[in-house]
Amino acid sequence: MAKSPKKSKSKLWFLVHSWLALPIWFFVLIVCFTGMLAVVSQEIVWLANPDVRASQPDDSAERLSFQQVLDALNQAEPDMSVRSLSQPDGSHFAIKARVTLADGTTPTLYVNPYTGAIQGKMPDFNFEAFTRALHGWWLVPFTNGYSWGWYLVSLLGLPMLASLVTGLVVYKKFWKGFFKPVRTGHGSRIFWGDLHRLAGVWSIWFIAVISITGIWFLIQAILGDNHITISSEPVVPVIAREQVPQSTDGSPAPRIDLDEAVRIAGLAIPGVDISLISLPATAYSHIDLGGRGWYPLMFQSAAVNPYTRVVDSQFLLGDRSALEFVTESMRPLHTGDFGGLAIKLVWFFFGLVLTLMVLSGLLIWTKRTAQATAAALKRSERAPRARASDITAEIQP
Amino acid sequence: MNQARALPATPLKQFWLKWRFHLNILLILIPLGFMPKYFADARMFRGDAGLGVNQISDIQVGPYSLDLAELRDEAPRADGPAGHFKAFNAALCKACTNEVKAVYLRIGKPRSLRAAGTIFFGAPYRMGTNLPVPPRTRPDAQVWVTIEGWDGSMHQASVPLAKASPATVAWLEKQGGKP
Repeated sequence: MAKSPKKSKSKLWFLVHSWLALPIWFFVLIVCFTGMLAVVSQEIVWLANPDVRASQPDDSAERLSFQQVLDALNQAEPDMSVRSLSQPDGSHFAIKARVTLADGTTPTLYVNPYTGAIQGKMPDFNFEAFTRALHGWWLVPFTNGYSWGWYLVSLLGLPMLASLVTGLVVYKKFWKGFFKPVRTGHGSRIFWGDLHRLAGVWSIWFIAVISITGIWFLIQAILGDNHITISSEPVVPVIAREQVPQSTDGSPAPRIDLDEAVRIAGLAIPGVDISLISLPATAYSHIDLGGRGWYPLMFQSAAVNPYTRVVDSQFLLGDRSALEFVTESMRPLHTGDFGGLAIKLVWFFFGLVLTLMVLSGLLIWTKRTAQATAAALKRSERAPRARASDITAEIQP
Repeated sequence: MNQARALPATPLKQFWLKWRFHLNILLILIPLGFMPKYFADARMFRGDAGLGVNQISDIQVGPYSLDLAELRDEAPRADGPAGHFKAFNAALCKACTNEVKAVYLRIGKPRSLRAAGTIFFGAPYRMGTNLPVPPRTRPDAQVWVTIEGWDGSMHQASVPLAKASPATVAWLEKQGGKP
């Protein structure tokens, strides 16, 4: 049986494909599964916890401005210090207010955007943060630069991309496989094989996106840990001492209100929808504002001087280098949080498909290995007997 | 695989073949092992675990008073070419939050308000800063707190570094004056 070199090469590719995730299949499975959950973690929390919802008291109620929300918070809790306000992507989410209480605790509060009422406090078990930490760095703490868990997870981008490429190489004429029905009734090996291939061809784009962005996370960590920066984002200098007015009676210098800061930032960043506002963290700090514009994959930001009303620093789409357009788009492409619920659901669905691909790949491998092992055992049983008959043939006269 | 079986099996190879799927178990043990640390850290960052460790309460700085604590009981952390940093938290007295413009921290006495050190960020009830710790710092050094009032006044006080962060002093002694 002379095999053509082409055929043996594809067999090698097949072997590579089947071995890519195997010794660590359960790890890969959990990473895919937690990634799938992380995409919709915000929505899961929304479903589970009414505090997170932006319920409109009646149809005529209008959304409050940031300053109105801040006033409502200060009135409700005069001792509380508000550090930032953010509107999550989606008007059905309550505003998140990061605050510091007089006892030194720093909870995040959910605030109704129509009434300014404090609806609740973020629970101690933060489901969103937990799934992201598990998926993103395997819970390994960051002590010196990037956590080694981050490397562990992001390294998986490499075998994932390799399994996409080898999978396409071994699947002959894969472009004809989009509408191939999954055969049932021929045993589970055939069923899982068909499903694996069908899911695979429909997920080509998704696996490519997830693996390439995953490899970017690896590169990002390598760059970060070697203190190499490709960012052109300006470092915002502190406000000069002369610009902070001194009061004779020892009371804090007056600052502009948040709505004025939003207006000034809007002039500096045309078309921006401010969704995050950080109040000055020191007497010499700016009001930092950020939001998305026409390009949903990137944030634009401005630092407004609360004493002089000048935008001291800004980082707009036009300030980015071509390289940054690519690298900064990597994270939202990985997480799917750039186009509201619809895109998240697409990412969630293909995340589920990807999880099933790991599982079906494993099932196929197990069945194949079981068969191969049985075959190998049979052969090794036959072999000694064959050899024995050879010997007897030799010694026979 | 069949090919692999045909090859003469070295002990290393046999070990790998026998134990390779146990890698999964090892990998799953990692997040399980770090879970208590994860929740302890989350609690610490929420401020539920208090201001920090090795807290020094009621440091009198002119007319004001302040609590100082290191975030973690550990040696300063390296941040590349920028050097080593030690995270500290502070809380101002409740009555003085409105009069204080800024609080600074520095190893060694500042010569002027402009060189008062690193500024504390955040609400007066819980502020944080990263204090640069030069490796040549003497273990008996003092940490200086400078408070600047909105009226332009300046007040100073100091505490021994050995009291504010014993782990930093242990680290400095181990460095032995090496740069």
